[in-house]
Amino acid sequence: MIARALLRFLQRTPLSTLMAVLGVALGVTSIVSVHLISATVAERLDELIPRQLAGFTHFLHRADLQADNYFDLRRRWRSGALPDVEGLSPLIDESLLVDTRQVRAIGVDLFSADIGVVEGAGSAAAEEWRWDGVWVDESLVDVVRLPVNGIIAAPPGTLVGDIGVVQDLLGWPSSRISYVGARFVSPWDDLRSLGEALLPGLDAGLPEVTPALSEAGWQIVSLARQHPASQFGKSVLFNISALGALALLVAWFLMYQVAVSWLRRLWPVFERLHVLGVSWRELGGYFAAAMLVLGVVAGGLGLAAGYLLAVQLYGIAIPQAEPEFSLDAWVVLKAAGSSVAVCLLGGAVAFNRARHGIPAERRLHAALILPLAALAGVAFDSSGLIGGFFSIAVLSVLTALAVVPLLNRLRLHSQRLAGPLLVRLSLRELFWYPREFSIALAGLSLAVATAIGVGLMIDSFRADFSRMLDRRLTYDVVVRGGDELAGIASELAATPDVSRLQRYQTVALRIEGAPFELIVTKVDAFEAARYGLSTPLAPDAALLSEQGARTLGRGPGDTLEVDGRELRVAGVFSSFGDLVPRVIVDRGSGLTGRLESLSINADDPARVLGAIRSLSSAAEVELQADLRRIALDTFDQTFAITAVLITIAMVVAGIGVYVAVTTLRLNRRSSTRLLHGLGIVRGESALMDLSLGLGLGAMAVVLALPLGLAFGWILCEVINPRAFGWTVALALSADALATPAFWGLVAAAVAGVLRFGRDEEGTHVART
Amino acid sequence: MEATLEVRGLCKHYADGDRLVEVLNHVSLDLAGGRSLAVTGPSGSGKSTLLNILAGILAADAGMVVLRTGEATVDLATLNDAERTRLRRRHIGYVYQFFNLVPTLTVWENTVLPARLNKRLDLDARAGELLDQFALSARRDTFPEVLSGGEQQRVAVARALVLQPPLLLADEPTGNLDATNSKHVADLLFSAAREQNVALVIATHSEEIAARADQRLHLNVDTPPLT
Repeated sequence: MIARALLRFLQRTPLSTLMAVLGVALGVTSIVSVHLISATVAERLDELIPRQLAGFTHFLHRADLQADNYFDLRRRWRSGALPDVEGLSPLIDESLLVDTRQVRAIGVDLFSADIGVVEGAGSAAAEEWRWDGVWVDESLVDVVRLPVNGIIAAPPGTLVGDIGVVQDLLGWPSSRISYVGARFVSPWDDLRSLGEALLPGLDAGLPEVTPALSEAGWQIVSLARQHPASQFGKSVLFNISALGALALLVAWFLMYQVAVSWLRRLWPVFERLHVLGVSWRELGGYFAAAMLVLGVVAGGLGLAAGYLLAVQLYGIAIPQAEPEFSLDAWVVLKAAGSSVAVCLLGGAVAFNRARHGIPAERRLHAALILPLAALAGVAFDSSGLIGGFFSIAVLSVLTALAVVPLLNRLRLHSQRLAGPLLVRLSLRELFWYPREFSIALAGLSLAVATAIGVGLMIDSFRADFSRMLDRRLTYDVVVRGGDELAGIASELAATPDVSRLQRYQTVALRIEGAPFELIVTKVDAFEAARYGLSTPLAPDAALLSEQGARTLGRGPGDTLEVDGRELRVAGVFSSFGDLVPRVIVDRGSGLTGRLESLSINADDPARVLGAIRSLSSAAEVELQADLRRIALDTFDQTFAITAVLITIAMVVAGIGVYVAVTTLRLNRRSSTRLLHGLGIVRGESALMDLSLGLGLGAMAVVLALPLGLAFGWILCEVINPRAFGWTVALALSADALATPAFWGLVAAAVAGVLRFGRDEEGTHVART
Repeated sequence: MEATLEVRGLCKHYADGDRLVEVLNHVSLDLAGGRSLAVTGPSGSGKSTLLNILAGILAADAGMVVLRTGEATVDLATLNDAERTRLRRRHIGYVYQFFNLVPTLTVWENTVLPARLNKRLDLDARAGELLDQFALSARRDTFPEVLSGGEQQRVAVARALVLQPPLLLADEPTGNLDATNSKHVADLLFSAAREQNVALVIATHSEEIAARADQRLHLNVDTPPLT
């Protein structure tokens, strides 16, 4: 009977019920869409790591690695000296040229490796499985001259064979291997897998724990660090997932606000029922059941809306690809679970607070402990991306906790407020009833602060990126790929139109176990200036990309060994957008690579462009102006999802403000009745609601500005280096500060005005 | 002398599920400026409903409520809700039993609120005089939460009088006060009615206060008769 009464109560408060369901559904929409996109992108990112290597958790490198080193290690492992290691295997992973095609040749122990032949591709496979045969991806089927045993799902240009076969291909002796693959076990593995299934990209955000290896001379490199392109992508996913969770967090604030409002009206009834013998536990259970119903409805709506939003967002972010989303058990579980959790938790906390309140000492403890926790998240790089986001979450909670004391303090000075009497009256309500506004205020502050933080980061990043492009894009024409580059270069060198011709040789190699791209070119003063160096690069010097410097822990003046040569680091250059760390050396260093691109300055770039196209149809030719446009378009595309997610959070926060204003009007019926008696007209009521909304919005902005600045700083100085290896210099842009503040005010004002000055009480007056 | 307030055949009923409950049944009365009317009757007899109809907060189902404001003669039955609201804010003072003051406005702001709503800045001096007269000047900048019940009701009376309305409605204004404060507030209301030529309608359970009124209307729960 009590349950029925509660459901009837929800029916009788259709507007707040609708707003609650809508807000939570929007939160669920946000996380469902992000999950669908992330899961699809994560699958593609997984394909960047050849399956034959993906089974290892770490790779063990050492200088002049020989097969004997592997067998020594294996003997120690079998004798029980390496208890955390579950498997060890020798591996070859090198680049070689097959008919001018750059091929990644992976040699594995065929007795233990999972080759993973693509199903249904048998027609391209050899008639019989041969030990001296190889497995290749589809692009190499017609390129390799060896027997092809099968087609594998791997990045283009991948060849897998038995160690011996690949050693033959490379011309290596049988004692030489590239590194050792190891599978370390950790008690957290299952938990991490579960987390990754629930939140694709999560693993990239967790701190990287390097297992201890007691054997001397070995360097341990994780699977993620050895495949930075995949890790880079997953870090992006983690960041988006964290942002997607924002709307859900704001939805929780909203749900809590709604629950507080409902409980305020239901509490006298609950107290009477309690007197009649119904326990608080039972009453709480009934209230939870009502919340559960809302959660299920909102979860269903959010799931459907999330799917539709995901299709749209995917189209914006990755327009060249067709999305293939499936509403699998994980996403349904996530939608239902998060929606129900938000509703139940919001209800439970509100119920608990209605019964017991919040002890003052708990607030004090939180105020003392939380700043330290936030500091720890940013101070320790080893806490990973999750550490940075933890700090952001802690600062948000801290701000939410500061709302009530701040409003109470402002109340003491509210007498000084000036302006029209009705506006003054409404603004003071904000300070008078802080508990009714605190959560809505915290929700809106959080949404605005996130918008400010992300906006600051994007603007700062764009400015740095743009500066990098200005410095780097000094050539008129860039020619990439194609086997005819050498020929094109010779022809162009003899063309009078060409004032400068720069040749870039590239080779993939490992430095201290980490994969690098080595670029060999003539680094004269002109070229050196592109990387921020004022003098030509000496033959014994190298330039390191920022990711490279971070990976190796080196800076200017340090030395590093590249392919057996000791080089001095002359400078570190910014490398936004790089997937793999780079090292640049002068061609006088003696290092060589394959000619991969040409950069040209010409008096008449269009004529040179025409000449290149007439020389080769295969070469990719780009003009500098196009490169800049494409780079900036890609940059903007990357952040399109971000803008949508923040907008959703802002809308949910706006609904929170609406609920808060409505709650106030409901709870202060006597004031409403009094003003009605004094002859307040509907327009004036609307003006009061607008003033209250705007006041709330202004307070939210005041709280959001420092919080947003802190978010911006953490995103630039903590999240970016940890996720991508580069630092973004935080620049305070007026636009990034003003735009979210403006929209925050608009959201709050609209939430106030939406009530159209409605008097919840209507014109009903008690009959006495 | 023409009556400031003239009521004829006033009827009002409420719907209670499928049932119609009659609250006011053909109520009629006349009240001149400077005179007072006490409305008495048990709880549920329709006292507040009558006052709310006279104030234009509620519309009557039948009957006529004529108010002579000095500027015009208006039948509230012919006005819509917005017009009645405008009439109320300009020409009717209202004092409730509870929650008479806006908690987020100071004593001064509460007092001048009707003047501000009517854009009558010239009435600030009168508001000041009323606060002096009601011994509230010292409390001018304080918020209602720190005032006693008696002080709050005095502020409410001052606010109701600031516009010098022709009609003053008081819904059990002393119901929440002790005897001393009750007498003080009643004195203010009755003397204001007399001295400022205001027609005062006061709903009350207090026999003592009802006895001070010039006229009396007793409402019963079932069939409210006109006395």
